[in-house]
Amino acid sequence: MKHFRHLIKPYLIWSILIIVIPLLLIGLYAFTEEGNAVLTFTFTLENFRKFAESTYLNVIIKSFRLGILATVICLIAGYPLAYIISKQAEDIQSFLILLVTVPSWINMLLRTYAWMNLLSDNGIINNLLGLLGIDPITMMYTDFSVMLGLVCNLMPFMIISIHTSLSKMDHSYIEAANDLGANPVQTFWKVTWVLSLPGVLNGVMLVFLPAISSFVIPKLLGGGQYMLIGNLIESQFISVGNWNFGSAISLILAAAILILMRLVKRIDVMGRQEE
Amino acid sequence: MKKKKSIFARFYVALCLVFFYLPILVTIIFSFNSSKSLTRFSGFSLRWYQELLTNTEISKAVYVSVTIAILATVISTALGTITAIGLSRSRKVIRELLMEVNNIPILNPDIVTAIGMMLLFSSIGLVKGYFTMLLAHIAFCTPYVITSVYPKVRNLDPNLANAAMDLGATPFQALWKVIVPMIKDGIFAGALLAFTMSFDDFVISYFVSGNGVKNISIIVYNMTKRINPTINALSALVILVIVVILILAQVWPKLKKSRLNRIPPRMRSFIAGAMVMLVIVALYQWGAVAKGERVLKVYNAGEYMDLSLLEDFQDEYHCTVIYETFESNEMMYTKLSAGESYDILIPSDYMIERLIKEDYLQYLDWDMIQNKGNLLENVLDHSYDPGNRYSCPYFWGTVGILYDKTVVDEEDLKQGWDLLINPKYKGNLYMYDSERDSFMIALKALGYSMNTTDPDEIQAAYEWLVNQRNIMEPIYAGDDVIDNMVSGNKAIAVVYSGDAAYIMSENPNLEYLTPSQGTNIWYDAMVIMRECSEQKLAHEFIDFMLREENAAANTLEVGYTSPVTAAYEEMVEGDYAEISAYIPDDSNPRSEIFRYQDPKVKALYAELWTKIKAEQS
Repeated sequence: MKHFRHLIKPYLIWSILIIVIPLLLIGLYAFTEEGNAVLTFTFTLENFRKFAESTYLNVIIKSFRLGILATVICLIAGYPLAYIISKQAEDIQSFLILLVTVPSWINMLLRTYAWMNLLSDNGIINNLLGLLGIDPITMMYTDFSVMLGLVCNLMPFMIISIHTSLSKMDHSYIEAANDLGANPVQTFWKVTWVLSLPGVLNGVMLVFLPAISSFVIPKLLGGGQYMLIGNLIESQFISVGNWNFGSAISLILAAAILILMRLVKRIDVMGRQEE
Repeated sequence: MKKKKSIFARFYVALCLVFFYLPILVTIIFSFNSSKSLTRFSGFSLRWYQELLTNTEISKAVYVSVTIAILATVISTALGTITAIGLSRSRKVIRELLMEVNNIPILNPDIVTAIGMMLLFSSIGLVKGYFTMLLAHIAFCTPYVITSVYPKVRNLDPNLANAAMDLGATPFQALWKVIVPMIKDGIFAGALLAFTMSFDDFVISYFVSGNGVKNISIIVYNMTKRINPTINALSALVILVIVVILILAQVWPKLKKSRLNRIPPRMRSFIAGAMVMLVIVALYQWGAVAKGERVLKVYNAGEYMDLSLLEDFQDEYHCTVIYETFESNEMMYTKLSAGESYDILIPSDYMIERLIKEDYLQYLDWDMIQNKGNLLENVLDHSYDPGNRYSCPYFWGTVGILYDKTVVDEEDLKQGWDLLINPKYKGNLYMYDSERDSFMIALKALGYSMNTTDPDEIQAAYEWLVNQRNIMEPIYAGDDVIDNMVSGNKAIAVVYSGDAAYIMSENPNLEYLTPSQGTNIWYDAMVIMRECSEQKLAHEFIDFMLREENAAANTLEVGYTSPVTAAYEEMVEGDYAEISAYIPDDSNPRSEIFRYQDPKVKALYAELWTKIKAEQS
């Protein structure tokens, strides 16, 4: 079965040109000294040493914690929705999926401003609470507001991804499980969940990666003190202008993520074996 | 039992949709706001829709966003799908390697991808514009398609295609008639993701495009100074269009069943043809400037000019102005350092000093600027550019404290900057999320120069700021402080005088304080880049901006203080008579102008600032 193997060739060439080469350019900065002129570089590991300081380590730990939490929430809240959607008639399914996606086509900054509007001290929600005689609650610039913004923004990706796996699932497996006396809970965990695992993993990736490197949402909903790895990289590249350190941080981040994904892939493999 | 379940399911779906659509609803409601605020509704009006229709910049951006998103989606979906199919048949080593490479654009923060591609395009000499933006979008969309399609392909029975070919199908037929239909859910999901990513992208688009090509996101982000509801109006229209499409899509299949069944091949070629037309039109639109017409490229901060002035200028001087905007001086510098060139820039004092040092600018020929005499005397000849050899002032002002008269005691104002560490106002304070401005405050409060390079003084300022963080719990805000203060969310904020003038005109409870310990006096000025080929036109532009009536229109629209005497006086006596922040107080000898910072000192400030923000107790 070797037909179609050549189909990867266009992308192979494309990805070398437009993904690998820019990455090498970035890598070059990470290992060189201050100054944006590539031609006069001198090799150094200083940029990596600098990252080992507790400030920066705290930032990366905080980012991972936030990314993982956002991913877990999106998974727990998104899975049932994807599941319900996948049980509908086919045309309703694509309609609902579009309905879930459409908000993402409205500019993210605008949606974030809308949340600020809803959550701020004199905002819409507090005004409504005031009408009911409830004291205003501080929601802006907290963990809650940042998480809300991230989940609202990223959950559609989780839903699309899980739904792709769940739709067109071979129902004979489920029937077989039922016939063999499995209760609904067993059927779900041993059959449906396992079969949807590729979609879940894809969704986890699509939520986790942007969550960990996001900077606009934490900045606006959490304030400048909500320092995450994305903000750190962005500020190194733009406001500080230290591309070398910025490149080093992004390489460290990429490495950390790659390791994590290897682990996730393990789970995937184990899941397939169970199957 | 079954019924109960379905009610619960419906309720859950509705709940999720409310969650997703709540911000959209707010966005739409505020598109009808009669004032500029995005957080306080002051009355119903259609003025933003009117503005939307007359704003050619936005309509061009819609065109760019839509065509780029469609083209990038189609191309990346095709590329990603065939790659995913090919991957499933490749050897394990190649497969894993390519999958890992494929993950890079997904896992890298946007800014890294953006800088990488910007470097690539600059180094191979591609002219930045529509085409480079399209290439970049295809590059970051394709990985999403592959990750969506690949799991579906992997689950296919590999014998299916074999069977088809045994039965006489060509490989292409086997692909198109057997494999693709089996994985169409994955393709659909991938295309949806690709479209979403492309349509909402800002960072990558900003750095890889140029020559005036902007998408909607670029416009929105550069409006952050003063986002106005025009964009909300646009979003409302986008939603409307989508709703119409969705309804059509519901009706479409029924129509299709009846009679459109035989058309698809023709439809397909029609769609393909339409795509090609779109590209040609797009390339034409930006490739073609009327022959012999002079072109001026202007690069200014977002929401920092009355755009009708640009149209007047083009009419009067028979030229085309390509107008681009940036969010901060540093963003502008990042683009310049990748080799992008413009004719006129409008940066701030310290950045002008840097640009002079690094040889980006050319001398102004003041003989060609007849309106020089219109300028206020005290805005000329400052340390960043002695004798104004390179720069002509555009707006100027100070940094100060904006406070709520109903909350802050008159008595406490004497503290000046130390008001910001008065525990009485704990949790009621916005600082400005910028290391230079924050350190300026601390250094001034301690009685040092804000341009100090003395490590002990910097250390003392760092401790002042750490102390402030611990006792005051301030919010380090960006330009969102403007809307927050208009709505009165907190009592004290550090702001630029020009922003203060606007905020005070919207919220009469506020007053502006220029602390007695001295502050930052700043100047934004027009400069001409060395590469400028239209020197005469560039000087004509500067001269045009100094005309009294133009300067007046500009300052009225933007709200920052004009350096042109007549415009300044007109505002002080008229529209801004009640607003103290419009008149910058430059009389205090302890006030200073920011100077160029040595990279080492700059890095030190940045590092300390990160520590202050990140190590929250």
